[in-house]
Amino acid sequence: MTTPAMRTMPGPARRLLARLELPLSRAFEGVHNPMHHLGALTIFFFYVALVTGIYLFIFYRTSLEGAWASVEYLTREQWYAGGIMRSLHRYASDAAVITLGLHIVREMIRGRHKGPRWFSWLTGVPLIWVVLWFGISGYWMVWDELAQYVAVSSARLMDWLPIFTDPMSRNFISNEAVSSRLFTLIAFIHLVGLPIVAVLAIWFHLLRVRRPRINPTRKLMLGSLAALLVLSVLMPVYSHPPADLDRVPLSLDIDWFYLAIFPLMSVTSEGFVWLVAGGGTLVLAALPWLPPGRRTPAAEVHLPDCTGCGFCAEDCPYGAIDMVERSDERNFKLEAKVNPDLCVSCGICTGSCPSSSPFRQRRPLTTGIEMPHFTMEDFREQIDVAADKARGALLVFGCDHGPRVDRVAGPRTHTVSLPCVGMIPPAGIDYAMRSTGYSGVAIAGCEGCDCHHRLGDDFTRQRIERERQPGLRRRVPRERLLTVWTKVGDEHRLEQRLSDFSLHLAELPAGEEQSNSRQTGRREEEVQ
Amino acid sequence: MKQLARHAGQLAAWALFLVVIAAFAAGPAFSPVPEGHGELKISMAHLAERIEPCRQLTEEERQALPPTRRVTEVCERGRVPTLVRVRLDGELVIDRRVRAAGWQEDGRAYLLEFQPLPAGQYQLELSLRDSPRAQGYDMQRRFQLALEPGDSALLEIGDGDVALRLPDRN
Repeated sequence: MTTPAMRTMPGPARRLLARLELPLSRAFEGVHNPMHHLGALTIFFFYVALVTGIYLFIFYRTSLEGAWASVEYLTREQWYAGGIMRSLHRYASDAAVITLGLHIVREMIRGRHKGPRWFSWLTGVPLIWVVLWFGISGYWMVWDELAQYVAVSSARLMDWLPIFTDPMSRNFISNEAVSSRLFTLIAFIHLVGLPIVAVLAIWFHLLRVRRPRINPTRKLMLGSLAALLVLSVLMPVYSHPPADLDRVPLSLDIDWFYLAIFPLMSVTSEGFVWLVAGGGTLVLAALPWLPPGRRTPAAEVHLPDCTGCGFCAEDCPYGAIDMVERSDERNFKLEAKVNPDLCVSCGICTGSCPSSSPFRQRRPLTTGIEMPHFTMEDFREQIDVAADKARGALLVFGCDHGPRVDRVAGPRTHTVSLPCVGMIPPAGIDYAMRSTGYSGVAIAGCEGCDCHHRLGDDFTRQRIERERQPGLRRRVPRERLLTVWTKVGDEHRLEQRLSDFSLHLAELPAGEEQSNSRQTGRREEEVQ
Repeated sequence: MKQLARHAGQLAAWALFLVVIAAFAAGPAFSPVPEGHGELKISMAHLAERIEPCRQLTEEERQALPPTRRVTEVCERGRVPTLVRVRLDGELVIDRRVRAAGWQEDGRAYLLEFQPLPAGQYQLELSLRDSPRAQGYDMQRRFQLALEPGDSALLEIGDGDVALRLPDRN
């Protein structure tokens, strides 16, 4: 049986990434896979650092004499609380760098930085700098030998820029040159300035994302917190000896997550570090447009079929649809309007449109909102293309970004790959079983919390469970419907599930839904 | 059994996560200066001479000015670049011509250099030219520098004074 050509085939890098993530999916049952929550985990680690940081600041003394001593008190005297809090503060910050780095690489490999998603990518780039400033300024506050190295090195970095006439580094040429006010300033930057900037930057980063997932699952929060606590107890963080600007530190236990630029500067030059940092930032920022690609057409509203219900606007994961005043003569208040700059062409709006029904006897079949590159007419055609062999066969809907359904196609299995499974209108499932005569329908989409278009899997599940409109009609036999949520590259598992499902279907008695398609009001061209 | 395998997998994942954090959160150790080395910091904030010396106004020139601005002396703002040369045991380690700060180059000349040095005794010689002269120096100083591993000595050049500060080992 035929399979339509997939619009965007996952490349080798994406398939490799999915394969590497598979063991984690197995262990964390897909939905809790940490790789699916990297952005949210980064924010969670930020919360941990924030709460522990507030505790540390209660005991911190913002003076030249008091800074190191107060941190030492927390670490040694109050090891059971302050010491653990300090370690947790450090390790949560380091964990945030790991998840942030993985988040960037993963989104890039999955191509989720291109097209209308450029805004989230671009506004995410300054967040890297904010995170680094957080770490660097935090290390200053301890005022030990490491802080001294970081302070002098970062001042030298700043001095390379033609900003200051009096070099900033001159503030660190001797112990007498350092003022206690420095610690008030750095504490303000670390505790007030940067958190405000970070919250604003995160807000911008998520501005064009509807229903952003800013918290990981509870299981992940508890798991990661427990893991960091274990590390804090097993490997508590200690300070270096107090800073002494008459000495140069001979050996430093560097936090490479935040401070790697300083050894790089020591072995190269300030200019080289700026070149790497500035050039890297520019390249990252330009990635959404490198190389320039052709955009998939945006969703189009077909006013004769639009009743202004607003389901599409409610479901669009990127807020690309607004409900505006009606512009035609029909007796509805509102109509949908698509902002093509925000539309990622997922087709979830088509799945949410109550007019998206293959049962409608119209040719060409249209609906209220649909994708020009995969219309409702195409959708119905793809179901019907194997209609003569449909009886007793299995129809598998897949997603261009999920497991490759074309690999499981066979004489008794017809596959249809869509831009997203969220595009399937519930009436389409009903139609496939009731009118075309497939014995069962399987939906194979991206794994939990990993939908390429963010919410397609959730919405599909909710529509099937009738928790979201339009819901799948009660008459559709749920025992003949299978959903498989897995990754690209995990086609073996999909094949296994489909094989079990086929056996299960064979055991079911033929119901009235399985009646001859010609007796149940097929499309007009077949009735004629 | 499947549940147990899942839990084992989760534990392994968190353990790997912790190992990566532990491996790079406080190490591998890094040495900012090579073993057995110290550091010489050369810090300068020095006001050099003007390019053009200040000039007394003639009575005619003063009369041409508005009554509230009849100054007796006018000075061009620009200052000459300061030439700094530092020799250690006769070997030239710093040879810089430092321009005065500011758009008009009328501020101090600032310089800050960090020079890692092997521990030992050095004869330090500073030569400074901060006037429009083409040859010779306006200031020369000699110091004895005794550097131990990890020491950070400071050669501080001010407007009219120069000092070599060695670490206090008491």
